[in-house]
Amino acid sequence: MAQAKRGIKTVLAISRRHWLLASVAIPLSCVGAAERLDLTWDGDDLHVAAPQLHFLTGKPLDRLKDGAAVVFLTQLTLTTDNFTTVLRRKPERFVFSYDLWEEKFSVTKLGEGQRTASHLSAAAAEAWCFDNLSISTSDLPQDRPFWLRFEIRAAEPKDEAAVIGDSGLNLTRLIEIFSRRPRDQQPEWTAQAGPLRLGDLKRLVGRARTL
Amino acid sequence: MLPRMRFATLAAILWSCTLLAGSPEQQMNVNTRYTVESVEVAGDNQAISNGLRSELTRLVGEKLNPAALDDLATRIRRELHVRAVTHHLLRGQTPEHVRVVFDVRGRPAKFEASVPKLVYRTQGGFSGLLTGTATVGWQALTLGVVSDGDDLAERYSGIVARYEDKRLASERVSFRLDFASYHEQWNGATVTALQHQSTENDIPGIYRSRDDIEPLVTFALMRGAPGSVNLTLGTSFERFQPEFPAARPESANAMVTTLRYHRRLEGSGANQQQWDAGYSLRAATNLLGSDFAYARHQGDVQYVYSWGHSQILDALTAGAIIGRAPLFERFMLGNSTLLRGWNRFDLDPLGGDRMVHNSVEYRYRLFDIFYDSGAIWDQGQAAVLRHAAGVGIRQNGLYAALAFPIKEGHIEPIFMVGMNY
Repeated sequence: MAQAKRGIKTVLAISRRHWLLASVAIPLSCVGAAERLDLTWDGDDLHVAAPQLHFLTGKPLDRLKDGAAVVFLTQLTLTTDNFTTVLRRKPERFVFSYDLWEEKFSVTKLGEGQRTASHLSAAAAEAWCFDNLSISTSDLPQDRPFWLRFEIRAAEPKDEAAVIGDSGLNLTRLIEIFSRRPRDQQPEWTAQAGPLRLGDLKRLVGRARTL
Repeated sequence: MLPRMRFATLAAILWSCTLLAGSPEQQMNVNTRYTVESVEVAGDNQAISNGLRSELTRLVGEKLNPAALDDLATRIRRELHVRAVTHHLLRGQTPEHVRVVFDVRGRPAKFEASVPKLVYRTQGGFSGLLTGTATVGWQALTLGVVSDGDDLAERYSGIVARYEDKRLASERVSFRLDFASYHEQWNGATVTALQHQSTENDIPGIYRSRDDIEPLVTFALMRGAPGSVNLTLGTSFERFQPEFPAARPESANAMVTTLRYHRRLEGSGANQQQWDAGYSLRAATNLLGSDFAYARHQGDVQYVYSWGHSQILDALTAGAIIGRAPLFERFMLGNSTLLRGWNRFDLDPLGGDRMVHNSVEYRYRLFDIFYDSGAIWDQGQAAVLRHAAGVGIRQNGLYAALAFPIKEGHIEPIFMVGMNY
């Protein structure tokens, strides 16, 4: 109780200047900060979710509501040394479109095992996208700390034809895309988790546990 | 060899399948199941060619094809020389239909040099106009040099300038200010005819130089699918120096009115009809400080019917001047566009205050045959109808023709070659 009182006293002792600094610094620290990434592990692959992260916003959403298809590029990066070196990368491509008459989203995951979901709300479309992302944990010891980063970027309209072509994305091309600073019309969102250990995650059959 | 052929066959089949299946975006955009209800180009779309306009129209009634829209957006951008053209979709009036809107963005500054007219004509020599236009946004400034011995009784040479604001207050109103300063040269036949004219005619004399300033405002009264109607109103301040240096300059200041109509009718298949009509009035009045008082009326109607590689064209022009007008206002026939084949100094070296002319032309691919007939006379005189016929070759704005006057006695053909006239 006494500690609590001291704490309150401390808070009350913060000067106006500190409040002002804090009011500027706190929002600034949020800019560019990665969202929290929730992980589930099915014994072979890590699956991700980021309920706080909404990428169907801004210019990509405007383009969708104008009837265009928008390509989103995603990348999962697994590392065991806090992103100094990369253990594994997993790129994916998703094509979103918005039905002008039904006012619902449709998403197609490109590549092997191409699949589509339609008649989705914006949140459901984003969730479907996450549901279809995973990265293998083979060669990753269960007791070794790891970090996982998720990145998603809307492809530029002029690049869309190239990135949804049959040839798809090779690793070199993907690294090139994600290493470029996103342009004004190319928003990017990230979320990350770590350090974590597979051993700390309860190994389940299927996807059941969220950290 | 055989495995290579198999591979080629397989590749051809795969390629065909890709074409039939459409682009990946076409397959993945959920709106491709909808039918295009209408296509419009937002902004200044006057410069879009007929061919491209037809292709835009062709999308109506078809299933939405995003790849085709991208392609057309690129072509519109190239034709209009604009920074970007994007497209967006809107719900149509009918369920399961969408409206396609192309958005034209930005009109960058540009400079263009052009030759609006260049013609060589036996018995007339060269005539040409060379201009350079700097465009910034909706405003354009044009400077040019001209030497023309084809249009009027005189050869006028000098400089021309134009300031144009294509969007004055709204897209439907434009303003332009034309300036010209010419030095004149006269054919001996004209000078002689003036000296020997009867007292009844009282045609004003020749002049050494001529300056003209014309502020004009054009109103687009109607635009779009049924046709366009433009009305131009303004004034012309024309000042000229008579042949004798001691004489005081004279002026012919006039109110200018022009009404023009244009309509294109798309028929079945490749058939197409086009109507153009216009009427212009230049009314010089003492109220504007003019030394001359007259009204110059001129009207024209042109009809073009195109099918396949063929085109038939009929153009009728008529004009009348009421009052005493200076020489540059008088009508002339026997030049590179009117009564081709005749020498205008043989017809009437002073021109006339009445004129009527009709031209019938048939074009097939490059080839062109024409038949001109017309009369030029002064009020109170009898009109004499004259005819001319000719053949020509026309390609990409270049034109060469041989025209014959239809008359008794010695016939001397006139050869013409040029561009953009």
